Amino acid sequence: MSNWTEADLMRWDEKILRIAEDLGLDWHPIDYEIIDYQEMLGAMAYTGLPTHYRHWSYGKEYERTHTLYNLGQTGLPYEMIINSNPSIAYLMRENALHIHILTMAHCVGHSDFFKNNRMFAHTDPNNIIDSFKSAAKYVRSLIEDPSIGIDSVERILDAAHSIKYQVPRVPGLKYKKHSELVELYQKKLQDDPDADIDLEKVPLAPQYNLLRFLAEHSKFLKEWERNLLLIVEESSKYFIPQAMTKVMNEGWACTIHYKIMNELNLPDNLHLPFIKLHNQVIRPHLGQVNPYHLGFKLFERLIEDTSFEEAKILREIHNDITFLRCYVDQDFLESMNYFSYSFKKDKKSITIDDISDGEGWEKVRNELINNVGLNRLPVVYVEELTKNNTLILKHEHDGRDLDLNYAKKVFENLEILWGDEVKILTEVENELWEF
Amino acid sequence: MSVFRKHKSIVDRAASDRVRHKKKIDKAIKESIKDVIAEESIIGQNGKKKIRIPVRGIKEYRFIFGNNQNNKTVGSGGQHSLKRGQKIGKGRANKGKGQGTGRGSNEKGEEYYDVEVSLEELAEYLFNDLELPDLEKKQFRFLNQKALRRKGYRFQGIRPRLSKKETIKRKIRRKKMAQKAGTYDPDSDERFPFHKNDLKYHHIKPKEKANSSAVIFFLMDVSGSMSQDRKFLARSFFFLLYQFLNHKYEKVEVVFLSHSTNAKRVSEDDFFKVGTSGGTIISSCLNLELDIIEKEFHPNTWNIYSFYCGDGENWNSDNKKSLELFKEIKKLSQLTGYCEINESYSGLSDDDGDSNFGASSWATFSAWKNEELENLWATLNPLCDNKFKKVMIGDVSHIWAAFKSLFGGKKDA
Repeated sequence: MSNWTEADLMRWDEKILRIAEDLGLDWHPIDYEIIDYQEMLGAMAYTGLPTHYRHWSYGKEYERTHTLYNLGQTGLPYEMIINSNPSIAYLMRENALHIHILTMAHCVGHSDFFKNNRMFAHTDPNNIIDSFKSAAKYVRSLIEDPSIGIDSVERILDAAHSIKYQVPRVPGLKYKKHSELVELYQKKLQDDPDADIDLEKVPLAPQYNLLRFLAEHSKFLKEWERNLLLIVEESSKYFIPQAMTKVMNEGWACTIHYKIMNELNLPDNLHLPFIKLHNQVIRPHLGQVNPYHLGFKLFERLIEDTSFEEAKILREIHNDITFLRCYVDQDFLESMNYFSYSFKKDKKSITIDDISDGEGWEKVRNELINNVGLNRLPVVYVEELTKNNTLILKHEHDGRDLDLNYAKKVFENLEILWGDEVKILTEVENELWEF
Repeated sequence: MSVFRKHKSIVDRAASDRVRHKKKIDKAIKESIKDVIAEESIIGQNGKKKIRIPVRGIKEYRFIFGNNQNNKTVGSGGQHSLKRGQKIGKGRANKGKGQGTGRGSNEKGEEYYDVEVSLEELAEYLFNDLELPDLEKKQFRFLNQKALRRKGYRFQGIRPRLSKKETIKRKIRRKKMAQKAGTYDPDSDERFPFHKNDLKYHHIKPKEKANSSAVIFFLMDVSGSMSQDRKFLARSFFFLLYQFLNHKYEKVEVVFLSHSTNAKRVSEDDFFKVGTSGGTIISSCLNLELDIIEKEFHPNTWNIYSFYCGDGENWNSDNKKSLELFKEIKKLSQLTGYCEINESYSGLSDDDGDSNFGASSWATFSAWKNEELENLWATLNPLCDNKFKKVMIGDVSHIWAAFKSLFGGKKDA
């Protein structure tokens, strides 16, 4: 089946890197692991990380992809690459040569993006693998500890996972302990004695890092339980920048692979299947946003309007939200034929709300922005920790109501972690709602 | 220049997490199974049929937006031309949710998704901890119980059968030899690792165990008073019983008897399908059973189990006679079960101490209170012990509890 040797891969890699250099890209060196499809499924379950702590949800993920793959409903990804230095990427042994060439060109784009985009400035690519490794080791030691065991570990991890996205959406923001905040606010008060600051309040400002807050303030968590929360938070921190730049990252990688592939002077027997594959990757998905499609098209247009050099600057400074906010206009949305839709309770059906015409495109754009990255997930922060140890959380309501069934479950998980009274405040159909 | 590595992993890294996930599914299935076992659709099916079990989701919950009008989705329209207000679908598969919300919509806070299992697998889940009680070793006949026994060691084998003890013994032996030969110095820090040739595996041989034989009598009331609902409950009960026996024991004889004012020996098919009519004389059926036991199944050779299921509305004059006959059957049998369908039974139990009789004691109480009723239930009280058990079924939810109380098992988990 495979029509290539490792020497082929090396030869093409050399050519790809030369072109990438000419384009002025700057990437981490890449280590390619050549694996079979089962190993690929395994790698996918752990989002590509070579080591990861144990949790049943990854087993579930494996089964899910495996089933879909067996049913032929999904192909395995052509590329998967980790934000580390060196970047680790996977090539599936079963794939044909043109797929590998495209994958390698694509990976260069990703690695370049990781290394240059502002959102990743605070990630630690040199140590990320080790950090996951030691987390995995720690979790294993807890599971093997006869006084703890897998059930207790899962109890905490299950609960912690349910708030793993409740972290600040500003990459690199350092968590400040209460004592540090007090110091900071005391200084503020000195500078401005009239400021509206109540030093008795905990937290002094809304705290968006739920996991860290729980680990710091819980009266009941054991040392190892606190550590688990910190481990989950640590891995969230790794994923947040990626979630914030999915459209740009994929769009950039597609732009790069397309540019490189066209300059490689591929023979026809590789070029034609490549074109086919490329078109498949960036095709629109009916009723959905395909980030590859959106990102590629937007970069394509920006490069047409300005230049590749200009695009390189954009790939450094933006994230998905700012990128779409700045560069998506009516023309573009119309060309993508984007529209917004929702479920109407009264009609019991899904209907189209707005389409990308003169009247509706701004609304569609705003909804599009609501649909990318972390905007798809509600923001919930710590509002107050009262004197009687009640933890009050608040949902930052932006017009979209919470799914109450899910919120209820998360609420129960928070009770497990907090061990005392918890309240969650939100709005449902314009009425205040409290758990 | 990039680096290419042929990744050669021996371990399947997701394996342990998958096992853990599977365990959670199994647990969820067990929890939901009670609601499923009495469902019409599984009664009278053969083992190949797939059954859908709604299982409480094994989900990772987090804060998500609900399925409301303010939560709009954006998508590409492809080549289609679109209009505002255009209807594009009926219900929306909720973002990030599993399939199958049929039940979820009724029961707030619970998410369900369907798992398909075959009847055989269902039986596996259900009957694992249950057994026919007091199966004695009687003469002759065969009730094959195949068992795998460890027998010796082999150099080849599968990983789970690795014998750690033998393996380590071989390693120590090799180490000593290496010491003697001078190729290994025990005082050095050098490790002395395992070698492939050290590995030894348990060898496993199937062993057939000739076992006692068993015959099960199914006795069902098919009189006119057995309404559709009652009949359904009785059949469900027997069906479950039948599946249980089929699952657990390869060779059991089953005798089907149905009765109204007189009793008939019927085929399996007829037993589960035939309609109802006529009055009720239970003793007719018990007589027939004793008759058959005498002719075909000598108690010295056979383990005998009898299960009766009816609505308890026997002719008063027949109750005494039935009691005597039940007594006789009890003497011959390893276990006799009497199952009564009674809609007024609520399933409440005020007795948690003795799980075997938990269900029946409350029902007994209610029967005593209503003296007019004077049904068979109360009459049978003197018989009750480990070899004679009574259970009452009010609706489908009791079937499993009744079943468990008959076959030991712990109280319904």
